[in-house]
Amino acid sequence: MDVDRSIWAQGLTRDFADLKAVDGVDLSIESGRIFGFLGPNGSGKTTMVRMLTTILKPSAGSARVAGFDVSKNQGEVRERVGVALQEVGLDGLMTAREMLVLQARLFRADGDQARATAERLLTTVGLDDVDLKKRVGEYSGGMKRRLDLALALVHEPLVLFLDEPTTGLDPVSRGSIWDEVRRLNSEKGMTIFLTTQYLEEADKLADEVAIIDRGRIVAQGAPRALKKAIGNEVVTLSFASDEVATRAAFALEQLCPDRRPAGRDLLCYFATAAGRLPELIRVLDEAGVGLEGLTISEPTLDDVFLQATGHRMSPREQDASAGEQQGGTVEQQGGQVS
Amino acid sequence: MTDVLLLISRSLRNTLRVPTALLTNVAISVFFLFVFNSGLSSVANLPGFKGSYLAFIIPVAIVSASVGGAGNAGQLLIRDIESGYFTKLLLTRSSRLALVWGPMIAGAVVLVGQVILILALGLALGLKSAAGVGGLFVVLFFAFMWGMAFAGYAVFVALKTKNAAAAEAATFAFFPLIFLSTTFVPKEYIGATWLKWAATVNPTTYIFDAMRSVLIDGWVAKQLLIGAGVVLGFATLTGMLALWQARRATQLG
Repeated sequence: MDVDRSIWAQGLTRDFADLKAVDGVDLSIESGRIFGFLGPNGSGKTTMVRMLTTILKPSAGSARVAGFDVSKNQGEVRERVGVALQEVGLDGLMTAREMLVLQARLFRADGDQARATAERLLTTVGLDDVDLKKRVGEYSGGMKRRLDLALALVHEPLVLFLDEPTTGLDPVSRGSIWDEVRRLNSEKGMTIFLTTQYLEEADKLADEVAIIDRGRIVAQGAPRALKKAIGNEVVTLSFASDEVATRAAFALEQLCPDRRPAGRDLLCYFATAAGRLPELIRVLDEAGVGLEGLTISEPTLDDVFLQATGHRMSPREQDASAGEQQGGTVEQQGGQVS
Repeated sequence: MTDVLLLISRSLRNTLRVPTALLTNVAISVFFLFVFNSGLSSVANLPGFKGSYLAFIIPVAIVSASVGGAGNAGQLLIRDIESGYFTKLLLTRSSRLALVWGPMIAGAVVLVGQVILILALGLALGLKSAAGVGGLFVVLFFAFMWGMAFAGYAVFVALKTKNAAAAEAATFAFFPLIFLSTTFVPKEYIGATWLKWAATVNPTTYIFDAMRSVLIDGWVAKQLLIGAGVVLGFATLTGMLALWQARRATQLG
């Protein structure tokens, strides 16, 4: 019989005073999938992870992870899930080996097994060459992330939750985390629930994504299918101001019925865009709207987000995402995002 | 049980890796011992005063050490909560009881270590135990249990406030318990009625009495039983509060 590595939720809700951080989320994730949970800051991603991993009690609804109810069978769920939260939970006074051995022993490994597990995982995450006596408090951000991931793996979980595992990392560290996620999924068959605010990360890693905004899932499916659903090509028209973009949106009402304003940009979705460009430019010219830039691209998950919510992910996420695409590091652009 | 031992071991190791707080705490207790013993030792000349003033005052140095020594348990827990490591521990198979008892017992063990140093210093200064070596072990037992009681309180406050400054401030609540008691003179020499009343209702008085009885009088069953009852009751109460708060804190997230 197959091992149950699935995640299921129905009407999952969490209130904090007047705020509904997660609002009636339904999920059904099959065993062995990489599931990307994409959304801007404060959209409810971390709250969702905390509920699915028994750290936080749901206000309403129910959820099962690896076949067990997260509210009624917390112990069984904890035995089967590995969790690396966005804020790494490490003890700066201990060494990496000490932490891994303790973690393994708290999952009922005996001393020899715990030491062997620690050595294996240190190698797995590339920390085996670090000075044995070096305390975790002296580690770099990337090293801490890798150790945190190793701690989540000590008991060989069936389901792995990674809450923004690459936020604040440089591109090299980010790449190594991505490789490790893919390896765990393909070699161990682990179901991986990955929250991220990086569009590229969700796009590259996930078999399926759900986009969450203000506590509600606004789109869900395979990244390719989601993007295809909004058109094969997107033309981004850039203007001098929001006001000019709004005038352009009126002018292009007939020619571009599927369009979305996004600040100074106007996005038009077409099955094929190339043949429409001369007409677009002519209509704008006749309407007296000055065009400052034009690009054609395939839709991204950000376009899916825009289509579903009517707004882009917050400017900060866009900046982070832009930095990523330009090869810059998020650390250089504002550090860790909660 | 293994979980408790693992977590005690970790707490002790971490405590020893930041020895400054421990040394400061021992220094304060030693300061109390020297200042009070040399400044107030003439109290021993009062009619009816039994034994040496050193034997009378050394329990005060021991109990004051518990504020820092066992209170360290709360600080360790706060550090774990603030660093997110406590959440990591919550996600293991370890019981909530082990998560609370680990730092509590470690705090009490640290206190016992400090008390051994204080007793050694006392012996060097001429301390005599009327109940012999066994009496010194009784003092260590009371120190350990008092440490557990105080560590339970410190852990409870740490889990309740999740804030280092608030937890540290809360440890000062124990100072009235130490000083509104038979701290410097036996109860019969206290003149102020209110202080006499405070000393009677203050549980610390009975811990002082039990420690002093083995050092000054020898084996006095009544005082030892009352002292043991009080310290066990206090340790049970604060331990249960800490566990209740741990369960509550982890349920509500």
